Amino acid sequence: MMPCWYYEKKELKNTPSTLDGIDYETEMRYRKEGARFIIDTGSKMDLGYNTTATGVVYFHRFYMFHSFKQFPRYVTACCCLFLAGKVEETPKKCKDIIKTARGLLSDQKFTQFGEDPKEEVMTLERILLQTIKFDLQVEHPYNYLLKYAKCLKGDKTKLQKMVQMAWTFVNDSLCTTLALQWEPEIIAVALMYLAGKLSQFEVVDWVGRTSKHLRWWDMFVEDVTMELLEDICHQVLDLYSQSTTTVPDSPPLLPRGSQLPPSTPTKPTNGQEKSTTDMLPPTTNPAPPPEVPPYPYPAMPPTEPYAHGFPYTAPPIPAPHIAPPPPGPPPHIPAPPITVYPPPFPAPPHYPPIPPNPPNNFYTPPPNPSAPPPSLRPPFYNS
Amino acid sequence: MQSSTPRESHPHPVMMSVKEKERYIENFQFPYCDESTKYEKVAKIGQGTFGEVFKARDKSNAKKFVALKKVLMENEKEGFPITALREIRILQLLKHENVVNLIEICRTKATQNNRYRSTFYLVFDFCEHDLAGLLSNVNVKFSLGEIKKVMQQLLNGLYYIHSNKILHRDMKAANVLITKNGILKLADFGLARAFSANKNGVPNRFTNRVVTLWYRPPELLLGERNYGPPVDLWGAGCIMAEMWTRSPIMQGNSEQQQLTLISQLCGSITPAVWPGVENLDLYKKMELPQQQKRKVKERLKYYLKDPYACDLLDKLLILDPSKRVDSDTALNHDFFWTDPMPCDLGKMLGNHTQSMFEYLAPPRRPAQHMRAHHQLPGARPTTSAVQDNGYQDRVF
Repeated sequence: MMPCWYYEKKELKNTPSTLDGIDYETEMRYRKEGARFIIDTGSKMDLGYNTTATGVVYFHRFYMFHSFKQFPRYVTACCCLFLAGKVEETPKKCKDIIKTARGLLSDQKFTQFGEDPKEEVMTLERILLQTIKFDLQVEHPYNYLLKYAKCLKGDKTKLQKMVQMAWTFVNDSLCTTLALQWEPEIIAVALMYLAGKLSQFEVVDWVGRTSKHLRWWDMFVEDVTMELLEDICHQVLDLYSQSTTTVPDSPPLLPRGSQLPPSTPTKPTNGQEKSTTDMLPPTTNPAPPPEVPPYPYPAMPPTEPYAHGFPYTAPPIPAPHIAPPPPGPPPHIPAPPITVYPPPFPAPPHYPPIPPNPPNNFYTPPPNPSAPPPSLRPPFYNS
Repeated sequence: MQSSTPRESHPHPVMMSVKEKERYIENFQFPYCDESTKYEKVAKIGQGTFGEVFKARDKSNAKKFVALKKVLMENEKEGFPITALREIRILQLLKHENVVNLIEICRTKATQNNRYRSTFYLVFDFCEHDLAGLLSNVNVKFSLGEIKKVMQQLLNGLYYIHSNKILHRDMKAANVLITKNGILKLADFGLARAFSANKNGVPNRFTNRVVTLWYRPPELLLGERNYGPPVDLWGAGCIMAEMWTRSPIMQGNSEQQQLTLISQLCGSITPAVWPGVENLDLYKKMELPQQQKRKVKERLKYYLKDPYACDLLDKLLILDPSKRVDSDTALNHDFFWTDPMPCDLGKMLGNHTQSMFEYLAPPRRPAQHMRAHHQLPGARPTTSAVQDNGYQDRVF
């Protein structure tokens, strides 16, 4: 039985969590919080966008089989990032992930990890692997985005701006369930379409154009209707209009059936759920200046074709220099409230454009004659 | 077995109590991960890079046999081993007639007895023989056409994996499986990894402690970390020679001795025959015999009467990896396109109804001619952390 990792909308409304009594909106919020937590933890640990995105996809898939009530989301999130790190050849020690998580979570949320957090994550890893059928290889829209961008003709600066914006939309799309609905190619097309609209970059010509092509994406994907593209765009845009009101914090960690303690309302800090009171000082991400969306867009990727049979390897984007923050929300869309516009996760300085880890970092096991063959023990295990 | 754990008295109970969670895990039917009880173990047939290998029967189809490769996790501090994840990903990517087929991954049920930790097995289509096992059996005789067929399939497999940017990194006769119908399958991707051409001029820094010593190419022995497909072709050359010698041709007992053996067969390792070799990390640290003449053809012609075979072998065992023949070019070599043409192995293997695996075979005697330079015949070196613990009796 082969797994199919794409779901209809109605299936997404009938998940194990739903059946467990969690309403749809709450589940979506849990997914968003989990995804953002993976992104935050990943960036803090200098994990690349591929690793982070793979972790997020595992997370979304996991909760198509288990309920958020059965498996607390921050433990699952750590476990997904832990596994993604190994799969994407950017392994991090479990205890370091937990340490980073500890710094990002409130004491209360960290109680999810129980008395032996590492043990908790390790046990969950086996469940995760079985749940996702060891289907470890996940593709993300990023590479398609770059591939498509190389074909588009037009003003270089405008194109670059558009790609940067689309890149950020792809980052943000991880907080939605889009990865459970559509192939990465389609998400890439849709979010480039959105970015094109918002940055007023109209694609009129492209490399490889034939008379059969009505739109540039007809070259890459088939049967994609405008309704579908609009729907995908809206799912991402909806992220920016959420959390205008105070969102009660996620349910506290109590055994089922016990009374909920009074919830601590969290301040709507840019759609972030981190309340300043329960953050540990050294790890607090400073809130972005309210007027400038903290979008460090990736620089325009290189133009060399990069045909990689096997995406183990770090992506080809040479360390993109961080472009200046773009102007605020695009002028011609019904302006979302400015305090809400910043994407739900304020990107730390170097996310999204995390340069690929240089290959040197992957394989530097010191030759140790008495040890088992070093390739059995990736460098970080040799502490 | 303890029936309760201290975690149950956790001051901040998690959503599910530990007990509840354990019961949940025990009862959850993972839709995509079957239990290993669907197979019935028949015999242990080997020791892989990260665990034991068993022959097993599919209970729902008595005629269907599989190989179960256990994922060892007992000593893993970092959860599911990254090497196993790598092997799984690579096997999921590679689907080819000449690459072993991964059917699925199975689990044991999580119960109190295993502390709610499943054991995992990689499930492969069963192959009746491995090449080392076949070569160690004097009753198995390969005709020239059959040897051509073996090498053609082996190079086909290498061509395919290299096109998919995968290095095998553990080529040896024991990792070449052959079905009873004569189809060859490259197996054991436990050391394999993806590679790419150097990006932005940054050389790769792969570990060079790969490949079983006897099949390890000179560039790895000299500390090269920016290597590629030629490492597997050296191994293919060693295996090809072995088709005639019936035992590994260079059985060094140390890296130094392996280099000595290579120099004695392939000539001195010098910048003249291999420009740039002087820049390799260990070039100055290892003792490299000087004034050695290349004697590949001379020493092997005793075994290989076919001049085309000698010529191809000579090209596979080229010291300089950049000059070593690649699998595509090798497949176009006259060896494969002259009479006797490659011919099916099924008929010959049909005469042998017993499985032949190196693991089950007595140690092979090294060929007299090739034996001159080694000191310690006997146990074969392995790349695995777990050493073969002696040779078991044939379980035929």
